[in-house]
Amino acid sequence: MKYALYPGCVMPTEQYAYEISIREVLPKLGVELIDIEGFSCCGEPLKSVNQMLTLSLSARNIALAEKEGLDIFAPCPMCHLALSESKRILDSDPVMRERVNKFLVDENLVYKGTSNIVHTVDLLHDVIGLEKIKELVKTPLKELKIASHYGCHTIRPSEIGRPDDSENPEKMDRILEIIGAKPEFYSEKLDCCGGLLNANLPESALTKTGQKLKSVQEQGFDAFVDVCPWCHRQYDAKQTKAGETVAAKLDMPVFYLTQLIGLAFGISSEKLGLNLNQSPVEKISVRGK
Amino acid sequence: MTITDLTSMGESQTQVKKEINERLKKLQDEISEYCYQCAKCTSGCEAHKLLELEPHKIIALLKRGLIDEMVNSEVIWTCMSCFKCRERCPQRVAPVEVLFALKNMAVASGKQIPGNYTGWLQSVLSIGLLQDIKNVTTKDNKTITRSTLGLPEISKPTDPNKFQMMLSKLAVEKI
Repeated sequence: MKYALYPGCVMPTEQYAYEISIREVLPKLGVELIDIEGFSCCGEPLKSVNQMLTLSLSARNIALAEKEGLDIFAPCPMCHLALSESKRILDSDPVMRERVNKFLVDENLVYKGTSNIVHTVDLLHDVIGLEKIKELVKTPLKELKIASHYGCHTIRPSEIGRPDDSENPEKMDRILEIIGAKPEFYSEKLDCCGGLLNANLPESALTKTGQKLKSVQEQGFDAFVDVCPWCHRQYDAKQTKAGETVAAKLDMPVFYLTQLIGLAFGISSEKLGLNLNQSPVEKISVRGK
Repeated sequence: MTITDLTSMGESQTQVKKEINERLKKLQDEISEYCYQCAKCTSGCEAHKLLELEPHKIIALLKRGLIDEMVNSEVIWTCMSCFKCRERCPQRVAPVEVLFALKNMAVASGKQIPGNYTGWLQSVLSIGLLQDIKNVTTKDNKTITRSTLGLPEISKPTDPNKFQMMLSKLAVEKI
């Protein structure tokens, strides 16, 4: 199975742990990741500025993958939503498609609507499948009590077609079970990280992050797992600052799902970029609990 | 090609404004009628808990045509785009989409764009991405970047001029 890896902006410019663990783990599961030149921002973070910009940028990126005849793997939920929503609009509205294609003509691109778009969660759970993942597990995660965080854009709006259910997402939890962990429900599961507020209200963004993580910590979870570079930046890199906004000393190990899968596959922590996580992941990865 | 071309109320933006206006008018005519102010949107709103955004009131104001008042208000910029209001509305009204349209209108009307949106936009215009490659520090205090990790060259627009041409068309063409 072949996919164009659409990296977006945040993952390839700073959230290297996500990218490195994806490039390490997915090929082992039979996924060939193809790098394509020329991608740009998906436009989703700029939707508040100009929605037409979002639509056109996404169409442009899809067209680049279509030119190579490839489906798209977008590990960032925000990118995945922008691309999926643009596809939905352009596939159903020929007038809009013609208009957007006029923008793309200078770069010799044309949106056709031939590529499918997947995210980490549905690629792992629906396309690759739990059985295949199970086959590769060498060192199961020893019943780590894990809080899974899907991120808003991974599950909403369902009308666009999202990787998992909007109110009761559980694909990531099923994957965590298969690799030996013990994901448990917590009532803040669907709460937002606040990441987009970094644009204009960064203090409030930190408070959102701190509130959720504080609650997770109080409930005795061993680790927190996410699948979004925006969310991860909040919960991992900004964890200490986020804690300060809610008067809590946070020390919650935060992983990308692909890092935990890699650990269960017996891949070295270095190859999974665990030294890039700013949260205390060594509590888990070294001791194995 | 500057940010102003893409955002402000220059001559070229008349058409953009007209289109956003039509979008808002449509939302006002078709969507706001369905809202019966149950406030389920507000009860789940992520920004409500922290920043007092009340999506059901946004719809109520839209219904009354108080669009300029909202465009001029800072509260429209507190939405976190979590999409819970759109997901949970029993009447399929989507306050988050109204908020996007209102913010787009604020930008097209030449209002000051809050915070770092301008920086993001500027970065997309110049390199195609929200931000450029950063150096990061590992736990053991090593400074590293993509190349040190053996990651391939970053994917970004290969011909910045053509890419900018596309964006400038977006700004001036009758979209």
